[in-house]
Amino acid sequence: MSVLSQTPAIRVESRLTVRRKSVRVRWGALLTLLVLTVGAFFMVMPLLWMFSTSMRPTSQSFSLPPVWIPTTLNFDNYAEVFRSNVPFFQFFLNSLKITLAVTIGQLLFCSTAGFAFARLRFPGRNILFILLLASLMVPTQVTVIPIFLIMRSLRLIDNPLSIILPSLVSAFGVFQLRQFFLTLPQDLLDAATIDGAGTWRTFWQVALPLARPSLAALAVITFNATWNNYFYPLIFLTSWQNMTLPQGIALLRGYMSSGNPSVVMAAVALSILPILIIFIVAQRWIVEAMARSGLKG
Amino acid sequence: MLVKLSHRRSEALSGYLFIAPIYIGFLIFIAAPIVVAFGLSFTKFDILKGATFIGLNNYTHMLTDARLQTVYRNTALFTSISVVLNVGIGLLLAVALNSRLPRLIRNFYRSIFFFPVLIAHTYISVIWQFLYAKDTGIFNYYLSQIGVGPIPWLNSSQWVLFSIILMDVWKNTGFAMLLFLAGLQNIPGEYYEVAQIDGANGVNAFFKITLPLLSPTIFFILVIFMTGALQVFDSIMVISEGGPGDASRSIVMYIYEKAFRTFDMGYASAVAMTLFVLILGLTLLQFALGRRWVHYE
Repeated sequence: MSVLSQTPAIRVESRLTVRRKSVRVRWGALLTLLVLTVGAFFMVMPLLWMFSTSMRPTSQSFSLPPVWIPTTLNFDNYAEVFRSNVPFFQFFLNSLKITLAVTIGQLLFCSTAGFAFARLRFPGRNILFILLLASLMVPTQVTVIPIFLIMRSLRLIDNPLSIILPSLVSAFGVFQLRQFFLTLPQDLLDAATIDGAGTWRTFWQVALPLARPSLAALAVITFNATWNNYFYPLIFLTSWQNMTLPQGIALLRGYMSSGNPSVVMAAVALSILPILIIFIVAQRWIVEAMARSGLKG
Repeated sequence: MLVKLSHRRSEALSGYLFIAPIYIGFLIFIAAPIVVAFGLSFTKFDILKGATFIGLNNYTHMLTDARLQTVYRNTALFTSISVVLNVGIGLLLAVALNSRLPRLIRNFYRSIFFFPVLIAHTYISVIWQFLYAKDTGIFNYYLSQIGVGPIPWLNSSQWVLFSIILMDVWKNTGFAMLLFLAGLQNIPGEYYEVAQIDGANGVNAFFKITLPLLSPTIFFILVIFMTGALQVFDSIMVISEGGPGDASRSIVMYIYEKAFRTFDMGYASAVAMTLFVLILGLTLLQFALGRRWVHYE
């Protein structure tokens, strides 16, 4: 009896605290949103400045305060990028060529190696894998001098192969794909073998198609890292004919900075564009892949 | 028996063939270069005359190299401040985004904070160089509106490193945020519900639940950011070329300058070895401590 009479009081009290709490939570959310918005404003500002400057006629590229929203769409500066004596389009093609070669090569070689380390038995498998993994701890600055000497003796300096060949070796990629191939059920692979498929066909026709999400994640990370790479090209590529975009932009800035940030900004905008498009199209993949990787692009 | 044996042998053979491309690359471009770089560090290496063994001279020379002390101090300063800011702000952003915001809003802000992570340091440095310009940059323009400045962002040896750190945080904090968001999702929501019933407020819950349970993630992210920051190169190379003087020169820039500008490759290799040991130590520390933390959970 006494219990019954107590219950409503408790209920009322708890409802009150809930209401009070929900008000507090809403204030908290509002504050959070405010802080996030201010932060987001600072994140967007440099890119917006880049874009609006690239739309401005040269005579106004330094005008202060800056006009944030361009009133007219003026693509003259973009055309100027291609007309200048710096071969921007060639840089773009070079970057694309190197990036595609590295991405496709890594996908192929990392998946065969990942499959072998996960699924095939051969003497020395574990020690070979651990050695490969240990290479994750080696900074490129340590290996780059001997690689330079190798490339020089092979006469590959100023050749895209000097970038492509070392970039194909990715312990990270092998590790990621091995992790995936470990999850495949053994029955599936056995079934393929019983059907008469050799190791290559089991890999190519059964295992690899199932690895599509992992392959996509690796592709995105490799594409971005190679597209943005500056250290290697700076050392190995010396002529305008072979240089990549990041190098080219740094050069273009040198040739044009005396008075024309608008054209430079147009070139930067064009260089960021492929990354922006990929980000918008494949955002969920990218975010997931990067979160899992813990590896900087 | 014979069939089984030959089957096993053929599996081993395919295993070796599957890892061959990656492994040959690994031997040529990582394993051998480490050995060669170590050897080079005991030589005076001239690109035309070749290597002469000079024992520990490079290492003893490092002890008295004033410029090396400067670039190590710069790198240490850059690393400590940028890591604290990147990881700290990234954590706050992640916690803010993990609160009860509508999904659409959360994804919107996440994209905005994350996108700069994908852009090359080179492009970002070109943009920020204009933003930081002393007379024509918009930072000083807006600061002058509230009576501050003009700040010599890139022209003063006192400011330059700070300016580069600010830019680095703008670019990289979104990566820490993304990794923290992944870590936060592994904390069961029930913990917070229980805490709320016990009357804990948001700040309490953050220090009593989020931080302790997130500590393995925090440590992991700290190590990733430290190893990344110790290798800082691209952004400084483009925005200040290490100047004014040596005020913003990093350890990797010094290695690059010694190896590929003055071709003092023996000394450059010795300096690279010190960086290697530093990064190796950090990574091994992560393995050792990380394992202990996993047991605690």
